[in-house]
Amino acid sequence: MTGIEARPPTGTGNGNGGEPGTYPNRFRASGVKARHLRAHVLVVAWLAAALLAVAAQGTLPVAQWLAVHMFLLGAVTTAILIWSEHFAVALLHAKVPDARWSAARLGTANLAVAGLIVGMWTASPALTAVFATLLAAAAVAHLVMLIRLGRGALGGRLKPIVAYYRVATAALIAGVVLGGLLAAGGAGGPDRYAGLRLAHIHVTLLGWIGLPVLGTLFMLWPTVLGVRMKDRTTKVSRWVLWLTGGGLLVAVVALALGWRWPAAAGLALYVEGAALTVNLLARTVRGNRAVSAAAAWTLAAATCWLLIVVVTDLAWLVVRPLAAAQTGIDRLLPVLLIGFVAQILIGALTYLLPVVLSSGPRDRAAERAVLERGWPTRLVALNAGVALAALPLPGPAVTAGMLLAVLAGAAFLVPAVAVLVRSGLARSRNAGTDSASQRPAVWGTAAGAVLIVLAVLVANSGGDTDNPAVASATGGGATTATRTVDVTLAAMRIHPARIEIAAGTVLRLRITNDDAQRHDLKVQDGPATPMLAKGDTRVLDIGPVTGNREAWCTLPGHKAAGMTMDIVVKGHDTAKDSGGHEGHASAADNAGPDLSADFSTGWHARDADLAPAPGGTVHKVELRAAHTTVEVAPGTRQQMWTFGGTAPGPTLRGKVGDVFEITLVNDDTGMGHGIDFHAGALAPDKPMRTLDPGERLVYRFRAEKAGAWLYHCSTTPMLQHIGNGMYGAVVIDPPGLAKVDHEYLLVSSALYLGTPGSTAQVTKMRRNTPDAWAFNGIANQYAQQPLKVKAGERARFWVVAAGPSDGVAFHIVGTVFDTVYKEGAHLLKPGQPGGAQVLDLAPAQGGFVETTFPEAGHYAFVDHDMRRAEAGAHGMVEVSE
Amino acid sequence: MDTVGWWSFVRFAHVAGAALWVGGQLALSLVVLPLARRLLAPEAKDSFTAAAGRRFGMLTGAVFLPVQLATGWAMAWHKGVTWASLAEPGYGRTLATKLALFAVVMLAAACHGIAHARGRADLARALATVSLVGSLGVVLLATALPTT
Repeated sequence: MTGIEARPPTGTGNGNGGEPGTYPNRFRASGVKARHLRAHVLVVAWLAAALLAVAAQGTLPVAQWLAVHMFLLGAVTTAILIWSEHFAVALLHAKVPDARWSAARLGTANLAVAGLIVGMWTASPALTAVFATLLAAAAVAHLVMLIRLGRGALGGRLKPIVAYYRVATAALIAGVVLGGLLAAGGAGGPDRYAGLRLAHIHVTLLGWIGLPVLGTLFMLWPTVLGVRMKDRTTKVSRWVLWLTGGGLLVAVVALALGWRWPAAAGLALYVEGAALTVNLLARTVRGNRAVSAAAAWTLAAATCWLLIVVVTDLAWLVVRPLAAAQTGIDRLLPVLLIGFVAQILIGALTYLLPVVLSSGPRDRAAERAVLERGWPTRLVALNAGVALAALPLPGPAVTAGMLLAVLAGAAFLVPAVAVLVRSGLARSRNAGTDSASQRPAVWGTAAGAVLIVLAVLVANSGGDTDNPAVASATGGGATTATRTVDVTLAAMRIHPARIEIAAGTVLRLRITNDDAQRHDLKVQDGPATPMLAKGDTRVLDIGPVTGNREAWCTLPGHKAAGMTMDIVVKGHDTAKDSGGHEGHASAADNAGPDLSADFSTGWHARDADLAPAPGGTVHKVELRAAHTTVEVAPGTRQQMWTFGGTAPGPTLRGKVGDVFEITLVNDDTGMGHGIDFHAGALAPDKPMRTLDPGERLVYRFRAEKAGAWLYHCSTTPMLQHIGNGMYGAVVIDPPGLAKVDHEYLLVSSALYLGTPGSTAQVTKMRRNTPDAWAFNGIANQYAQQPLKVKAGERARFWVVAAGPSDGVAFHIVGTVFDTVYKEGAHLLKPGQPGGAQVLDLAPAQGGFVETTFPEAGHYAFVDHDMRRAEAGAHGMVEVSE
Repeated sequence: MDTVGWWSFVRFAHVAGAALWVGGQLALSLVVLPLARRLLAPEAKDSFTAAAGRRFGMLTGAVFLPVQLATGWAMAWHKGVTWASLAEPGYGRTLATKLALFAVVMLAAACHGIAHARGRADLARALATVSLVGSLGVVLLATALPTT
């Protein structure tokens, strides 16, 4: 047994004792060992980076891509490059290739991967293309090396396995090309994208990673078990390569072209090949004690996952069309990545690291003991986690499973690092002190520099710091400026909805989909992104923009639902402020304000609480008419005409018989205003006359009747005066009004954006096409800052419809009104058997409804005219226990 | 508000502390220790190196670290930095990265002390270099932050 351990992995497999003695010494040479050590430091570093990226999943949009590629392209690719070369030399009994060229290939590949990752992270297509080419070049060099090794080499019994490495390297090249196509977004429509993406995934995972693993297992498996290889291994390995390689070729070409059935057929061949391998491996098992039980179990579990994943993958392809199968296959990826790839890496390194790094049998046993520490726990945790993640269980179980699997996999890093450090220290102790004295400084500087580069990358991530609702991008002077704008797709909106740039600006859009569903973005007469899943980011180079353009999501119905964006060249007609184009309001205006955005910081919703009537029977109030600029919708500021500085104006409340004495002062410049209180009866002639700027008037009325009354500006055109905000409510309590826990007042109105009084705005008022609707003057305000009530409490909602042209159908989702009071009369009282669902008010009518909130939850209140509800006339009552 | 007010003093303490710490490391590793290696006898060199390291470490723990943390915290409070804002791209993320890098630098410095005490000279030197280069990175990130 010890004799087996002392030899490199192929020693047993060859069976003819004299031959192996010719090459182990070459691998023991310290140069080769040093290279292995350095290369495995790289592998471990990539693994750690991938884990960091996994941890950053929530905060970085590209984190998932980064994690997958740091792991597969960084760690796994480096490992395959090292080991395929190592095994090829051993299996072919060839001469060890020039160390400098090997290092150059490995270095180039790693540099290319690092560059690719930076390119994708910074969303720079040029950088990505350059480094993808470099990676392909490194792969070609590796392929050339593998082919040249075969020439004139003696060749052992297991020579066919080297063919696996060659085919796999070709698969890597194909995978890089496909990946480059995907990254460039030049793939065509969404269906095409799905096919190319599936082809990329299959050729890399099943080709570049799957084939070398299957091939290597033919000789590694018996070695790890410590048994003789089956005689038919050579023959079986040839068949399996034909089945898997040929099947994969068919599958990948078919997938890239979007042909589903040939793809399934190719994959079936691959499954057949994998099954043949597993069959042979299973028959190899004998009852003896394995050389490394940890490695054997881990390799076996990993191979099982490969088989499971490939069979499931085939099933998805058979039952679903490509685009739909994608979702199912995506769910397999974590299983394949951790269950198969990570586990095979762990299993192989557990056996191989001691073989290549140790200096003697005792050293090897010690290293193996370190690597195998706690292996049964890690094995069980990893596979249980993967199984949890693979089964169709609810979200938390899947997350917990993934976490368990990742942690169990990451736990291998600890012994791996320990062995590498041990081996490294042993080497540096042996090395001369002169050369060693300068090394720590070099290592330290390199590590520090890597830290700084990482830190700068993190600090610069997340794009431009300024991202207002309207992204303004002005080029300076005559030179053409380049401008990158971050665009977010969320809640069926494109944010920002409008980009203003100077003519000739070279525009780049960095588009991120934050929505749960897939979207893309197509620029009029310009490029389009592929379909973006949640969290995906793509960069579109629009080039110099000289005229107004539109951009939209191409999915059916999404454009109509409001997923449009205007790219407006400054100086061109912008319709918003121009009065000359009646009825030609820009698309941005038609889409209305972006209600999914956030209000600016420091913004507060208007208090909806209605205070009880103040004491006394005479209420004196001063109202000043003026212009005020208000945030009427998230991020949208609008000049309003106001009473008392707000729209709606201050609420007046009293009892039947109270006298109201209002002093109206017209503070406006250049515009007359008046006032009309519906709550009082008097001759309109004098009190409701129009006041010139600077004039004042005392309006005195007695509230003889109870009700929820409107007051508004009495100056014509009233459509504009009310439409621009000059309205408010007067609440006169009916006698015997019961006490309730909460009383709210909601004044409903329509919002018309644009310069008040401009032709464009007035046209919208005349046609009754408001930009939004609102309760208490600000669209969506109570959706962002909900009203707060406790379960079981009774609330009264006073509602007044200010118009100017629309009424309101007030409804609270999840409640039934037991009291309805409308226009001075109770339509429904608590004792009655009936209930009410809506308080319907024509423009200028008012009333109240009462309800008790049965349990904790979120009760939306809406104008049940859904066009208005979806465009701002809705809010939320948050009911807590 | 005065041009030179209390907050300038706080910022001065922060910047001066950083300058002294980074400068001290640079002076030690580029001037003092190489000279000590060349001019002193091996035993004298070892004890001198250890003593210099200990003195600098004590200075770091007793003066530099508390001052940096206190003034840094105060300035963040003054600027209205919140935990949530640290994740936002731009100022917040740069500051968060700077803090993380600073933590790594401090960790490297602490490990340097431990490695030195255990006689792992090479590891200690590598860690000292990481700490020095990393603190230059902290300064770089600090210059990228707009003034408070």
